Formats: sequence, structure tokens, C-alpha cells
Amino acid sequence: MNTILENFKKYVKNSPEKPALIFDDEIISYKKLNELVNALSNSLLYLKKGSIVSIFLDNSIDFVISYLGILNAGMIAHLIPINLSDEKIKQQLENAIPELVISSQSLIEKIKNIPYNCKKITVIDLINNTSTKQDDISHTNDIAYLIYTSGTTGVPKGVPITHENVEFTTSNIITKLNYTSSDVNLLPLPLSHSFGLGCLHASLSVGSTLILLKNATNTLSILESIKKNNVTTLAAVPLTLNKILKEHKNLCSNYLNNLRLIITNSTSIPVDTVKTYREILKNGKLATYYGLTEASRSTFMIFEDSGREESVGKPPSGIEIKIQNESTNELEIGEILIKGKNVIKNYWMNEKANKKIINDWLSTGDLGHKDMDGYLYLSGRLDDLINIAGEKVMPADIEKVVKVLTGVEDVLAIGMKNEMYGEVIKIFVKKLINTKITKSEILSHCIKNLESFKVPREIEFVNDFSSDEFGKMKHFRGE
Amino acid sequence: MSTNLNIEIKEVFFQIFPDLNESNFDWKKKQNDYEDWDSFSQLNLITMLEEKFSISISDMDSISIRSAEDALNFVKNRK
Repeated sequence: MNTILENFKKYVKNSPEKPALIFDDEIISYKKLNELVNALSNSLLYLKKGSIVSIFLDNSIDFVISYLGILNAGMIAHLIPINLSDEKIKQQLENAIPELVISSQSLIEKIKNIPYNCKKITVIDLINNTSTKQDDISHTNDIAYLIYTSGTTGVPKGVPITHENVEFTTSNIITKLNYTSSDVNLLPLPLSHSFGLGCLHASLSVGSTLILLKNATNTLSILESIKKNNVTTLAAVPLTLNKILKEHKNLCSNYLNNLRLIITNSTSIPVDTVKTYREILKNGKLATYYGLTEASRSTFMIFEDSGREESVGKPPSGIEIKIQNESTNELEIGEILIKGKNVIKNYWMNEKANKKIINDWLSTGDLGHKDMDGYLYLSGRLDDLINIAGEKVMPADIEKVVKVLTGVEDVLAIGMKNEMYGEVIKIFVKKLINTKITKSEILSHCIKNLESFKVPREIEFVNDFSSDEFGKMKHFRGE
Repeated sequence: MSTNLNIEIKEVFFQIFPDLNESNFDWKKKQNDYEDWDSFSQLNLITMLEEKFSISISDMDSISIRSAEDALNFVKNRK
């Protein structure tokens, strides 16, 4: 296996004029990208090997130049999502201890206002201010990049990803999803997240073209970009895929008929969405995967035949998954454990978090089970289990039952503290526009269709859910 | 006892306890005499009464509801 940079440089040599990246109206070839990557690496050579350099950039060509430039200089890229609060950014900087933060004209003021003392500079200024001019730099370091997981409480955990992790995962992505140099890949996902970054790695490693979009909310621009650029693969979260169907279903068969692949990720995909995309993609496939930042792309699922629409698939060769529960029966729900070259060895300076990794097995905190053929199904988070007088309830069990009611768009179930029962269930319900469903109707439906201990104690109608950029609903706690 | 409130309370009991019907329903039948009136059914009964009659029932009050008649009297006093 080769590193991402070795793969990328192969195509710099073999197909220098081929577009590597497209962003807005800017097209950048493999050759030009390599020149800029080298220029950025040159500007970092005053730092010692293995230094941390943070990237605080939105999706852009500058992001890719910075990222590859840092790796190429033998340093560690710390990726900061731009939508974080100032406090969270400060926590990350204080934990990662970067020598430098690279940003853009539009974001530099925000990062300068964070009280962490180091050099903060734009990509342009960094490249223009350097006097070192080595032609081709190629330094290495064990760790490629550092991403912090978005914990809802406490300080986020740093996840250092090695070049070996990246090589293994990229090879799995390419093999399982058949990426080739003839692909044109559309990415409306943040590069500061493992999903988006994995797509960049795959695209550059096979010498294909990657089209970057800044966000996934404008579904029409996604469809137009697919048509205009003859896109062959789209990577999008389930939320975006649902939004496309909701807003532009009539355009889908025309705009998506050239796609050979839509890859999404492991937050629950409604079965109907899977079925609809399977019908739309006459010449292509819908696929999903399950993974964590700490264990990227641990399974792959290509929805070819009906019957397993709710599964996230099986692990590729070299990755093991086991279900840990009291019955030691993997067909029953338990915590998912992962082992393989995609799994990190340890967290970033966090002894407490390191206890989650024992003998190379990572305890994910996710719940799931396997079927007889070894396909994995996700059920929820161990942390989200609601304990009602000793009875353990998964929020998804309740959400699934309430979701089938006409007039209900979405549901979120949480545990609410209760003196008598320990916890009771509260559900937040988002109604469809112009529907008049009542709380009594929902409650009656629950009483009819749920075991008695799973019936919600409280129902609250909400206009919307707090949803993070990756489409995972946050389980916000009741007071 | 056939006012609207009585009918509504009876409907709540029929929902929570599926084995109940007009022929075996008894206003004075106590919790211990129901096979399926456990702590979770109690919780669901209270939730349903709160929702249906727009009242709030505290944990202490909920313990005092041990029969359909108790539920009827409680709701009557609150409305």
C-alpha cells in the first residue's frame, strides 16, 4: 500500500493536466495542485517534523492544499470544523497545541479572536511569505491528521489517525465502492470530517476528479452540479438524500441517471429512502457504511437486493466486529466492538479515553446486532439507553413506532429523570405541516403498539430538531 | 353513573387494560384485582388521564388512584 501522497504524486506524473479538484468556477489540475502543495510544504519547513498545524477552513481548494501540504512536510494536520463554538475551538487548540493555524480571509478574524497564542495566517500569506523553494518535498510522519470527536459533554476527544490507518481505509473504500480514474465525485460534505476526508483520499488515490461544494443544504445546486459535470459518484448524509427527495423528486430520474454510486453513512436511512433511490438509480447503486472517526469505514453495505435495507453491511477483510452482550449471542443486541488496521491505537493525550481500547478492540458505545449471515444492524447508543425501573429501552424502538403515524414527520425519544421510576420517556414530535394530530392520538397509538414500559410519559411538539451537520439528531436532555 | 366524564374515564381504562370490556368493568374493582395493573400501567393511566383531561397529577396523587372510581373522583375534583 502507498500513502495518500504517494498515490497522488503518481497521478501528478501520469496525468498532470487532469482536473484534480473543482470548486465554484475554479478547476485545478493534478500538476498545479502539486505545485501549490509543495509551496505550502516549503512554508512550513521552519517547523520541526511532527509539529501540529491546524486548519480552520471551509471546503475549498485552499483546504486541500493546506492539508496535503502539511502531510507532505511531515507534519500533523489538525482539522477544526468551522461551525464550532469559540469555546470548543479553544478547547481543541489547548489540547492539540498547534504551532500554527491556517485559515482564510473570511475566517481569520474569528480564529484570531480565540485566546490561544500561536501564529494564525491565511493560505495566501503563508505561501507568499516563504523564501524556501525546494522543488519536491516528501517527508513523512506516523500520524497524518488529528480530528476531535464531537462529544456533547466535557472536552472533545482527539483522534490521531496514522498514515497506516488512512492507507488501509482508503484501499477499502476504493475496492468496495469501485472508484476509478474515470470517476467524477461530488462532495457536499465538510472535509474536516472523516466522511468527507475519506472521499478526498479515495478520489486523489485513483486519479479521479473531486468537485467540492461548501454545504449540503442547497439540494438544487447539488443536482445541477451532478448534471453539469457528468458526476458519477455522490457522497451525502441521509438528511441530504431525504431532502433531495422531498424537494426535487421530480428531477431525480433525469438528474441522477448518470450516477453509478451514491454513498451515504450510518445514521439511520429510512427503508423507503433506500427503496426509492434504488428505483431512481437505474444504472447505479446506493451504498452506506458504518464507522467512527476512531474506526473509519468499518463496514460497507451496497443495497443490491431487497431485504436488508436496515443493515449497514459487513466488515471488509482485515476488520473484525463483535457484539458484546450478556448472552454472548451476536444475534442479540449488544455493544459493537471493532478491531482492525482502521482502528486507532490510542486517543490524543487522553488516558481516560484510552480505556475504550483494550487489546486492540475499540468499544464503540454503539449498540447493534448481527443477522445469521453476519450483516450488522445498528440500534442506538449505549449512552442513550433509557432505564425505566430497571427496564432498558432504546429510543429507536419508540421513535420507529411513532414515526408511522400519519402527520408525524419526525420523532426524538429521550429519558427524563423521575423520582419513582429512575427515568421515564419523553418524546419530541415534529408534525408535518397542516396536520392536526393530537397528543392523545399519539399516546393511544403508543399504548396500542408498545410494551407498557415503553409508553412515553410526556409528549412535546417541536418545530424542528437540533441537528448537527452530519445529519445525526442530537438527543438533547429534558430539564 | 353515565355522565360524559364517566364514559371518558371508562374509555381510558379500556385503552390501558385491553382485557376490560363493558361486561367485566367494575368502578370499585381495586388495583390488586387487576391482573395487568402493574407499575407501568399505572404510569400510562396517569399519563392518559393528564392528557385527556388537561390536568397534572403529582407522584403522590398518582399513588392514591387505585380504582376506576378513584380516577373518576380525582378528575371530578380537578375539573
